[in-house]
Amino acid sequence: MRLASWRDFVRRLVHRPEGLVGLVIIGVFTLLAIAPWLFVGPLETVTNASGRRLEPPSVSHLLGTDNLGRDVLNLTVHGARISMLIGFLATLVTIVIGALLGIVSGFVGGRTDTVIMRITDFFLVLPTFVLALILAPIVLEIIGSGEVLGMRTTLIVIVVVIGITSWATTARIIRSQTLSVKERAFVDRARVIGAGPWHTMRVHILPNVTGLIVANAVLVFAGAILTETTLAFIGLGDPFAPSWGQILGASQDAGAPGLGAWWWYVSPGVCIVLVVLAFTLIGGALDDLLNPKARRRR
Amino acid sequence: MTTDPLSTDLPSARPTRTLPRQADPDAPLLVVEGLQTYFTLESGTVRAVDGVSFRLDHGQALGIAGESGCGKTTTALSLLRILPSNGRIVGGSIKLMGIDLVQKSENALRRYRWREMSIIFQGAMNALNPVQRVRDQIAEPIEERLGASSAEARKRAGELLELVGIPRARGNAYPHELSGGMRQRAMIAMALACDPAVVIGDEPTTALDVMVQAQILKLLEDLRYKLGLSLILITHDLSVIAETCDRVMIMYAGRVAEEGPVAQVFSHPRHPYTQKLLAAFPNIHADRRTLEVIPGSPPDLSNPPPGCRFAPRCAFVMDVCSTEVPPEATLDGVRVACHLYPPAEAIA
Amino acid sequence: MGSRYLTRRILQAVLTIVGIVLLNFVLFRMMPGSPERISHNPHASVAARAALRERWGLDKPLFPDQFIDYVTATVQGDFGESFKFKGKEVTTVIAGRVWPTLILFGLGELIAIVVGLILGAYSGWKRGGPVDYGGNGISLILYSMPYFLLGMILLVIFATTLGWFPTAGMFTLGQTYSSFADQVLDFTRHLILPLAAVSLGLIGQYSILMRSSVIETRGEDYVTTAKAKGISESRVLRGHAVPNALLPTVSLIGINLGFIIAGAITVEVVFSWPGLGTLTQEALEARDYPMLQAIFLILAITVVLANLGADIVYGRLDPRVRT
Repeated sequence: MRLASWRDFVRRLVHRPEGLVGLVIIGVFTLLAIAPWLFVGPLETVTNASGRRLEPPSVSHLLGTDNLGRDVLNLTVHGARISMLIGFLATLVTIVIGALLGIVSGFVGGRTDTVIMRITDFFLVLPTFVLALILAPIVLEIIGSGEVLGMRTTLIVIVVVIGITSWATTARIIRSQTLSVKERAFVDRARVIGAGPWHTMRVHILPNVTGLIVANAVLVFAGAILTETTLAFIGLGDPFAPSWGQILGASQDAGAPGLGAWWWYVSPGVCIVLVVLAFTLIGGALDDLLNPKARRRR
Repeated sequence: MTTDPLSTDLPSARPTRTLPRQADPDAPLLVVEGLQTYFTLESGTVRAVDGVSFRLDHGQALGIAGESGCGKTTTALSLLRILPSNGRIVGGSIKLMGIDLVQKSENALRRYRWREMSIIFQGAMNALNPVQRVRDQIAEPIEERLGASSAEARKRAGELLELVGIPRARGNAYPHELSGGMRQRAMIAMALACDPAVVIGDEPTTALDVMVQAQILKLLEDLRYKLGLSLILITHDLSVIAETCDRVMIMYAGRVAEEGPVAQVFSHPRHPYTQKLLAAFPNIHADRRTLEVIPGSPPDLSNPPPGCRFAPRCAFVMDVCSTEVPPEATLDGVRVACHLYPPAEAIA
Repeated sequence: MGSRYLTRRILQAVLTIVGIVLLNFVLFRMMPGSPERISHNPHASVAARAALRERWGLDKPLFPDQFIDYVTATVQGDFGESFKFKGKEVTTVIAGRVWPTLILFGLGELIAIVVGLILGAYSGWKRGGPVDYGGNGISLILYSMPYFLLGMILLVIFATTLGWFPTAGMFTLGQTYSSFADQVLDFTRHLILPLAAVSLGLIGQYSILMRSSVIETRGEDYVTTAKAKGISESRVLRGHAVPNALLPTVSLIGINLGFIIAGAITVEVVFSWPGLGTLTQEALEARDYPMLQAIFLILAITVVLANLGADIVYGRLDPRVRT
C-alpha cells in the first residue's frame, strides 16, 4: 500500500482506540527518553544515591530505592532513555538489513534470490537469542569497552547484535511484498524504458513497500526491546548506562524477589510491558489499516 | 413409496416421505413472504433483502437471477438461517410446509436444516472441509442427524456418490484431490444425504467449464425427476435458468423485479430491468457475459434510494418511481413490481 | 505421509545443522582472538594452557586441519573442558543439567499447548463476551511481558509474601527424604512457580494465535456448510473449525520454539532452577567459551529438531501437503 501522506495515515491510526492508546503511551515514553534529566535530575549512581537501601515506596521516593539507596523512579526514567534508544537503533539496523535484502532478493530473483532466501531461512530457524548471547561477549572483547560517539560500546554491541540476529523475518515479509509489487504494470514499463535496477527499486518498489516496512518496524521495535531486556537481564547490560533490563538483572542478582523488594523490579517491569504492549497495539491497528479484509457478504 | 430415509428406493413422486410433525400436508412446499434480511456493518446497516416474496411448489424448480450483490445468496442463506454473525432476518416469514422458520429458535430450527432443505455452494471455493475425506463429509449428516451407525452412514454415502456419478472408491479422497466437477458432484451427494424436500443451489455451475457445467445441470435434472426434488437455483446466468427451471425470479437490489414461469418471463419480459438483462444477450444459449451492458451500477444498499431501486438506471423512469416503492402486480401469472404496471389495471 | 514432504524437511534440517556446526566454527575459531579464547583458561596454569593448545591443534592452519579436527571432535561430543568448572568435561557438566530443563520446559510447553489452544479456540469461536475480552486482554499483557518478569512477580507474591512455595532451587538444600514420595513432593513444590511462569507466558501467546486462526476459519464456506447440515455447534467447532484452525497455529508454534529459549534461560535464573538456563548464565559470566560453544550447538540443534517435529505433526494434520 502506498502511503498517501503521513498526516492522513496518522489521522486514521488515531481514530482506532488501540492505535490511540498505543501512540499515547509511546509518546509519553519518548518524551521521558529524550531528556530524562528534565524530569528526575541526573542519573543516580553509587556516589550520589539519595536514599537508604531498599526502602519501599514513600512520599520522598515514589518508587522506593534499590540496594545502593538509589531512587528507583530516577533509575527507571533514565532507563527509558537507554531502553528506547537501543530499541530504536536496533530496529533501524534490523529494518535496513531486512528491507534491503528483501527488496533485492524479491526484485532481482533468480540465483541471488535463492541464495539470500537460504540464508534467511537459516537465520529464521536459528535460535537467534542464543546467537546474540554468544556473539555479544566475543564482539565486546574485540572492540573493548569505553565510549564511541557518545555511546558506551556495550550498548553499541547490543544494538548491532540484535540487528544481526533479527533481520530475517523482515526480509521475508518485504520480499513477499516486493514480489507482488513487481508484478504490477508500471514496473515493467520502467524496465522497458531502460531504467536500471537500483533506480527501479528505489523509485518504484520502495514507496510501495514503505507502509509494510513501517508496520513491521513497529513490531520489530517491540521485539528489540524484549530482546535487549532479556540480554541485559542475564548480564550483558551496562551498569553505567542501565536499561530497564539491566535494572531487572541487578535486582535479581541482589535477590530482590526473595527479599520482597518488589518495587525495584516492578517499576521497570511495568514500563517494559507498557511499551511492548503499546507497540503491539499500534502494530495490530496498522495491520487492519494495511490489509482491509473485504467484508464477506454474499 | 417409502418412509425410510435410508432406503435406496427412488420414489418418483415426493409427497409420501415422512413429513415433519408440525407440517401442514396441504400447505405449499415453501412460501416466503416479505423477507427482510439486514447486515450490520461498521459503516451502517445494509438492507440486502428488503421485501422478497415467492412460492415454491412440490417438484418445481425456481431460478433466482440477478447481478452480484442483488441479494440472491442472502435470500438462500436466510432460508436456512445460516447468515454470518452480522446478518439477521428482521421481518417477513418463511413457511416450509406451513411451518414458519423465522419464528423458530435456533435449536428448534436445526431439525429442518438438511433434512428438509439443503444447500450446494460453489465447489470451487472452500465449501468442502479440506482436511476431511469426502465420504466422511457426506456420511456426517447421515450419522448425526438420522442416527445411523457410522458403518451404515458410510455405506449410504457410497451409494450417494454412485448416484451422482462418482465411483464409490473415490470417496476416500480429500477434496483437493478431486477436480472441480467432481467436487460439485460430491457436494450434490452431500446435499442429498438426508433426503431433503428442497435443494438450494447457490451458483452451482459458475467457475466450472462449459462441458462440466452441462453435466452438472443434467445431473440435477435427473435427480430432480428421480427423487422428486424441488430446486431453487441461484445464478446470474440466465441460460442455466432457461434450461433447468420452471419459474424464474429476477431480483434487483434486494427486491423482486419480476417473477413467473420461465417461458413467459423470457419471451415477454415486463420489468425494464428484466428487459435489459435479456436484451444483453440476443441468443439465450450463447454468450454468458450479460452484465456489462447495463449502464450504471447497483445502488448502495446501506443507503438505498427511496422508491424503486432501479429508477436511477431505468430508461422508462417516471417521477413516481423515485418517491414510491412500486407495488406488485400480477399479469398473466407473472408478478411484476414496476410503476409501469400499476395493480389497478392488472388483469389476472 | 508423502515421503517427498518428509524427505525434503529432513534434508533441510540436516543442512541447517551443518550450517550451525559451520557457524560455531566461525564464531569460536575464526573470530579475532579466537584460538586463545578457547585455550586461554584464566584459571589454568601456563603448562595446562599449552597442553590445551596442543589438544585442539591451535597451531595448525584453520583449513582444513583445524576444521576437520573440530568437526570430528564435535561429532564425538568432545567439547573440551570447562573453564569455570575446574577442568571438568563440558559434556559431563551439561549432561547433569539437561533433565531439569527438560522437565520444566517439557511440562510447561505441554500445559501451554493444551490450555492455550482450548482457550484460544473458545475465545475465537464465541467472539465477544467477557471470556473473549477478558481472556484476550490478559493474553496481550502476558504476551508483552518477558517471562522472567512474570517469574519475579510470582515469586514475590507466592513465595516471599505468602510463603506457599520455596523461593529457589529444585530441592530443599540439605534435605533428607524418608521416602521417594516425599522427594517427589518436595520437587513438585519447587516446580510449581517456575512452571507457572513458563506456562502462563506461553498460554498467552498460543491462545492469541489460536484465537485469530479460529476467527479466520469461522468465515470459511465449509463451516457455513457444516452449520447448514444442522449438526451441533460443538461438533462444527471440533470437527470442522478446529482441525483447520490448528494448521497455521501449529506452524507458528514450531517457529516460536526458537524464541522461547530466551524465556527458558531467564526463568531458570529467576528461580535458581539448576538447568541449562542457569548454566548458560554462569558460563556467560565466567566467559567460559568451551561451555558456551557447546550450549549454543546443543540448543541450536534442539530447535532445528523441534521444528522438524512440528513440521511432521503438520504433515499429519494437513492432507494437502502430503501429495
